[in-house]
Amino acid sequence: MKHVLGNKKAIALFVVPGLILYVGLVFVPVIWSFVYSLYSGTPGLSWSFSGLKNYSKLLIDSKFHESLMVTIRYILTTMLGMVVLGLALAMMYRFWLVKFKNLIRTITFFPVILPTVAVGQLFRKIYEIQPNYGLLNSILDAIGLHDLVQPWIGQASTALGCLSVMDIWVSVGFYAVIFYGGLIDIPDDIIEAAKVDGCSSWQMFKNIIFPLLRPITITCLVFAFAGTVKVFESAIALTNGGPGSATTTLSMYMYNVAFEYRNYGYGSAIAIVIFLICIIGTRIIRFFDVKEA
Amino acid sequence: MKKKAMALVMAAATAISLMAGSLSVSAATDPDTSAEKKIKVLSIWAEDSADGKILTGMLDNYTKDVNPNFSYEYEYVSASDLSTKISTLVASNDLPDLFAYSAGVPLRELIQAGKVVNVSEELKAMGDEDKVMDSAKSIMTSLSDTDDLYDLPFGMNIEGFWYNKSVFEDAGVEVPTTWDELLQVCDTLKEKGIQPIATGGSDKWPTTRIVNAYAYRTMGADAVKKACEGETKFTDDGFVAAAQMVADMADKGYFGEGATTVDNTTAEGMLLNGQCAMLYDGSWFTSSITDEETNPSGEDNIGFMGVPVVDESVSEASELPANCGNILCLSQDKYDGAMAGFLQYFVENVGNYAMGDYQSVRGYTYDVDTKDISSVTQTVIDAIADAKTSTAWWEAYMNDETKATAQDNIQSVLNGDMDGAAYMDSIEEAYTISN
Repeated sequence: MKHVLGNKKAIALFVVPGLILYVGLVFVPVIWSFVYSLYSGTPGLSWSFSGLKNYSKLLIDSKFHESLMVTIRYILTTMLGMVVLGLALAMMYRFWLVKFKNLIRTITFFPVILPTVAVGQLFRKIYEIQPNYGLLNSILDAIGLHDLVQPWIGQASTALGCLSVMDIWVSVGFYAVIFYGGLIDIPDDIIEAAKVDGCSSWQMFKNIIFPLLRPITITCLVFAFAGTVKVFESAIALTNGGPGSATTTLSMYMYNVAFEYRNYGYGSAIAIVIFLICIIGTRIIRFFDVKEA
Repeated sequence: MKKKAMALVMAAATAISLMAGSLSVSAATDPDTSAEKKIKVLSIWAEDSADGKILTGMLDNYTKDVNPNFSYEYEYVSASDLSTKISTLVASNDLPDLFAYSAGVPLRELIQAGKVVNVSEELKAMGDEDKVMDSAKSIMTSLSDTDDLYDLPFGMNIEGFWYNKSVFEDAGVEVPTTWDELLQVCDTLKEKGIQPIATGGSDKWPTTRIVNAYAYRTMGADAVKKACEGETKFTDDGFVAAAQMVADMADKGYFGEGATTVDNTTAEGMLLNGQCAMLYDGSWFTSSITDEETNPSGEDNIGFMGVPVVDESVSEASELPANCGNILCLSQDKYDGAMAGFLQYFVENVGNYAMGDYQSVRGYTYDVDTKDISSVTQTVIDAIADAKTSTAWWEAYMNDETKATAQDNIQSVLNGDMDGAAYMDSIEEAYTISN
């Protein structure tokens, strides 16, 4: 093995095909987008070099600022929700509902395989207020909480939260399965030993389970970050970015600018910003990993 | 000497070919009704929809009756993807022979780039100028800001408020003719626990049309056009008052709870089922009104009341918002005698075909008997005939960025997150940045 890996030709044989694919599929489009971001207009009609004009426009475009804030709020709430609830569910399978764990796991994993558009339509009905109350408003109305009946996805104050709830509901089963995989890897004797030593549930979680799950948690955070930063189809299906721009995320705004306003240059500049957010976000998450190591 | 003569001959030949070239750009193409050609049609109408049936029906009939060597490939694309599709095809210089497109700014860009056929010139040469209705012509040339037509109408719609007659009767209210009366009727209906108006706030455009309705009634039919041409500002008092009118109506609960979550199809269903009293919509709504499945209470239960007047000296009662829907364009690069043959057949026959088989006005003259058509279609036909002047819709002259802002933020107006002034400020800002 050492002989093979010491051979530069052999290394090249293993690495080069993958590297070419990776460069072709990741780096070339990024560079291409960057070049596009230096142009204005629509290709074929009026396409001209405009230098850094698109980037300076980012500074004064209030819709860009709004969508950036929406994206950041969405990432923080949804990422946290997915990972924390995923962990809680996994703990439930492992310690509490051991007998029913397969059934519960199947039920909570089920939304992961549903098409996003179907989930969007389902939740539109749940949050509905006109012409008839949806499930949520009907329940609130039935238990006498009529004051809480409201257009959940029709007002800026609750729309983003409703979107987060929907996406957490969809993904939580996936994270629970990953965490469960980590939990069953923790040897029973460690947990037994902790119990014998009089460890409380909270102490056991804080000092034993969570530290042992740290690599899994980092992986889940990276998955959740990558999933939430590019949120697009679920927002389209549930709210279509509305009301106003309350749920218009960066990727939706980029799509609108590039493909609906046919302003490919400015759209590419926004894409570059999303790319930078991805890099910075992943670096921040990896920072915790390195610290532990 | 020989060289000089040769140079002269070459120069003359070049000059003649250049002249011929320039002539061929401006001269119309002679229709060829026997040439073999397979054209590409890009449409936003599914083949089984009424629009799709009319378009494919015309293509099939042309092949059957006139030119058997003519065939077509029909590609459907959803309306929301149309501009993306067309801009990609423009960039690759491969526009389809015949394609659906949006009037206004998008079409103007294609005209300026010389990508679409000058339809007026072609129709003039064919002697078919009168086949397109004058009202359609004036709407379309105004939207493209040209003297000539560069597109073909594929609809002729008027817009206004529709009302449910039995709901009005039960509540004991009369059909309003002025905007003040409209507000009074809304108050009465609201007191009686009936939702006065349904609006598809989730689709956004149905609500901006109400802002437009009040704006043109108070500022004149060309108010938005002037603002889009920079003559006036979107922040002028008249526009602010129009947006504020909708904000106040929403605040008083005229549009019901959570109007931003209702799409236009749901709003239409609410009117047809008596869950609300009024709805602002276009005459395309007649197909749902006359369909027994969507309207079990029957077409006679729904009436059209136009747009209530504010000041008759500014805008007469018969003046209504009108549009030609999505239009059809012909690619300049692909246009030849075979296509001219189809164009001639299309403009000469589509008016009668659409009215005779589908009871539909498409922006073309027709001379078939209209005795058997439904009462609601007849109302629309009469309203079109009565309208001496018309106005466009709210976003007709706006560029894409301004249009998106106008549509997105109307939801904030409905929610009470924005007042009329803030709404118009946002449109003015989008207009300034994008220009």
